[in-house]
Amino acid sequence: MTIIPNRSLDDIAETTPALGGNAISRAFSGGSLGRWIGLLLLILLLGFLTIYPLAMLLYGSLHSTPPGMAGEFNLNGYRSIMTTQNLIVLANTVGISLAKTIPSLTIAVFLAWIVARTDTPFRGTLEVLITLPFFIPPILTAMAWGMLANPQVGVINMLWRGMTGAQEPLVNIYSYGGVIWHMCQYSIPFLFLFMVDAFRAMDPSLEESSRMCGASRLMTFRKITLLLMLPVLTSSFMLSFIKGIETFESALFFGLPAGIKVITTDIYESINHRATPDYQYATSLSFAILGLMLLLVVWQWALLRGKSFQTVTGKGFRPNVMELGPWRWVTFAVCVLFFLISVVLPVGQLLLGSFFRFFGFYTYDMLTLEHYKAVFNNSEFWRAMGNTMLLGLLGATATMVLGAVVAYISIRTRWRGRSLIDGMAWLPWMMPGMVLGVGFLWAFAMLPGPLPIYGTIWALLLAYIALGTPVAVRVMTGAYHQLSYDLEECSRVHGASWFQTMWRIMVALAWPAFAVGWVLTFFGIMRELSASILLYSVGSETLAVVLMKLWANGNAEQVSVIGLMMMLLVIVFRWVQLKFIKARLSKL
Amino acid sequence: MASVTLENVSRMYGAVTAVDHVNLKIKSGEFVTLLGPSGCGKTTTLRMVAGLEKNTGGRISIGDNVVSDADKGYFVPSERRRLGMVFQSYAIWPHMTVFDNVAYPLRIRRRPDQEIRDRVMNALRLVEMEQYADRPSPALSGGQQQRVAIARALVFEPEVLLLDEPLSNLDARLRTQMGDDFRALQQRLKITALYVTHDQAEAMALSDRVVVMHGGRILQVGAPEEIYRRPENRQVAAFFGTPNLLDAKVKECRPNGGTHYKLEVEGQGWSGECHAATEMPKGTDVTVMLRPENLHLRQSGEANGGLSWAGEVSQAIFRGSHRSVMVKTEAQTLHVEASSLENVDIGRPVTVAAPAEAAWAVRA
Repeated sequence: MTIIPNRSLDDIAETTPALGGNAISRAFSGGSLGRWIGLLLLILLLGFLTIYPLAMLLYGSLHSTPPGMAGEFNLNGYRSIMTTQNLIVLANTVGISLAKTIPSLTIAVFLAWIVARTDTPFRGTLEVLITLPFFIPPILTAMAWGMLANPQVGVINMLWRGMTGAQEPLVNIYSYGGVIWHMCQYSIPFLFLFMVDAFRAMDPSLEESSRMCGASRLMTFRKITLLLMLPVLTSSFMLSFIKGIETFESALFFGLPAGIKVITTDIYESINHRATPDYQYATSLSFAILGLMLLLVVWQWALLRGKSFQTVTGKGFRPNVMELGPWRWVTFAVCVLFFLISVVLPVGQLLLGSFFRFFGFYTYDMLTLEHYKAVFNNSEFWRAMGNTMLLGLLGATATMVLGAVVAYISIRTRWRGRSLIDGMAWLPWMMPGMVLGVGFLWAFAMLPGPLPIYGTIWALLLAYIALGTPVAVRVMTGAYHQLSYDLEECSRVHGASWFQTMWRIMVALAWPAFAVGWVLTFFGIMRELSASILLYSVGSETLAVVLMKLWANGNAEQVSVIGLMMMLLVIVFRWVQLKFIKARLSKL
Repeated sequence: MASVTLENVSRMYGAVTAVDHVNLKIKSGEFVTLLGPSGCGKTTTLRMVAGLEKNTGGRISIGDNVVSDADKGYFVPSERRRLGMVFQSYAIWPHMTVFDNVAYPLRIRRRPDQEIRDRVMNALRLVEMEQYADRPSPALSGGQQQRVAIARALVFEPEVLLLDEPLSNLDARLRTQMGDDFRALQQRLKITALYVTHDQAEAMALSDRVVVMHGGRILQVGAPEEIYRRPENRQVAAFFGTPNLLDAKVKECRPNGGTHYKLEVEGQGWSGECHAATEMPKGTDVTVMLRPENLHLRQSGEANGGLSWAGEVSQAIFRGSHRSVMVKTEAQTLHVEASSLENVDIGRPVTVAAPAEAAWAVRA
């Protein structure tokens, strides 16, 4: 080494050993024992979160007795689900999901087009309003609609009878229609979020050249716009369909009372509503639904393989906005109407319900604040509030950290074992919350004594992390894809170790996506019901579980109060997110 | 400053050999350019010196220290090689200001604040960017980003400066100016620099030595003028510009007194004298290289020594600085760079002449 006599260079030479002195960082950057231990720990953690409950599910379906009891292995579980009654359940599940996906997709395309491609006034505000229902826990609106459209005492039907003098109710929420109606309110904003950026990002010159070739506006929309959107539409359809099969709340609230069963509610019933829980039946059915989901996911892959999204992923285009003239007020009204029906009506019902002594008796002398007092004096409510907050904060953070690590390993490194990690983290994607809940129920019960997770708040935490990981990985994958490798390598060459590069470059640049994912995961935890209801025990209730219990006791008034509290939380978090995190949610 | 030595360095990707037994010694303070078409292995070579790729064979040393020895499984990670690097994309971190970007290598090394401030401002002054120190880095133009990237690479006075096509994202005028500025800076600071580019003009203007690579191998190493005027083979000859390559046979070969040989060659309808690097026996097939700018148009039949071809003008294109004239001869169509003042009519019979020093023969 030829060193030019130079003071500062000598200084650096002195500090160099200290730089390389960190054994851990050397192990990681060099690629040796340290990395393998880290990878192994990660694989074990993911295995515990995904493979282990799945394995326990399989074990449960083949074993005649619940965990911890002597029994034998047999196929009775699978035999017992092979009934004509379950064929109806299957048909219900698939049929309801299809029936809600088609209208939802149509309306969502229309709304996305209005917001992204027309000159409808206040589009920015409308976008926020249209997407708001996505963030409201479904259990809230389910209860609100239960009060609004109850055939006997629902506000809508009472108004209808009062106005027309009819005896028959106008609407009955406890029906196929009711289930689908409620599901649509979640599908539409979800699909809207999924598609609106694709509409916005489409290169207008593709449409303009069609116009130059002599095609009319309508023709252009049919032949160019819609066909270019086809890959997005297909994937939206599949996603919505899969989500529909996983749904629990709508079918629980509006299906069960009318005798309409879907797979998730059937699993729930076989554990919670029978004299002795039939675990073998529940686990066998869970496995059957997993099979169905697997088929759907494979179908989705087959449909989307080779489809190019490139025409709609362009950047920096100014989309050509269609001038609607006076019609823009009609499109404006359509958006407002959606918001009124999906948010204002149910929230209004909760407000109404919370201030009257008895649900259904809305007269001046029934006005009261006693329900608020009762709820605020209810220690169970505060405990559930505390649990939900704790689980939300811890769960969202842990899930996003896990997702960030998994996404980093699977797309930024060439380490062996990265596809295994990626695959394990993706597994919960095709597990409905109910199925994962059953799996964890068995998994925790089978754990040896020194690990008393069963029946504690940690059981819920682990289930939430497992459920949230696939989305967390997707969010972080998207973020990493936008960062060029040079940014990382440049830091390494200029003297930063692997850990320093992670912290100062990757974390610093990816945190907006991390924050978006965090809020999303937090919302996910707050609304989670299907796994929680299987895994909670006294002391570890969440708000959703408490709501569920109060509802089952017929206490609709206190349900309204708690519902409003949750709604307040949703609005505060959503506001913070929109205000401080500029990155777009629809990047998902 | 330190030298860089590559001994038998190879890089395999599965069964594909990206870099094949490269041997190269870069002297302290020298500016060496790796030149070649895309996919020739030049960037991979640079990244192996940087420690961003592991060489699968051979040994790399920086100064007296081995930094990577594939046979012994020894590998020093990038951050401990004390290098500066300018990336093709500049890799300016968008979440930092200009100052923070340049200060990064010093902060990583935990230098005192006062020293960081002084050295960052010094580095920014070198690239004339000191008034932009507090700018957020996304608000910079391409040329400014490039300057910041250079300042960042120089700020801790690295052993070696590595540059991966740093000028390729700039427009033509800026590219020339930045190149000249950078060469002046390199000579002033006497930094050892390894530079990768596919642009021959850039390589010749900047380098002390040029390394021409193709298919993972080094074709030739030499000073720019050496490589341009005396290529070792047809591939190197063809890589620079659009030379005329004529097939011929050796009639006679004799030493020139110096390092070269003087050949008497005969081609289709022409014969004459040219030079070559090696001795070639009578009857050897050779390719004679003639640069268009060394050919001259004469009146038909007029020739005074050197080489000459009779033919007629088939095409003439005005290019501003010169006129590209195609002359159809018995051997082949010759490309002549004539003065833009010269008036050339299509179909006119002419004689193309060249001095013997301008003709260079390599084995066909």
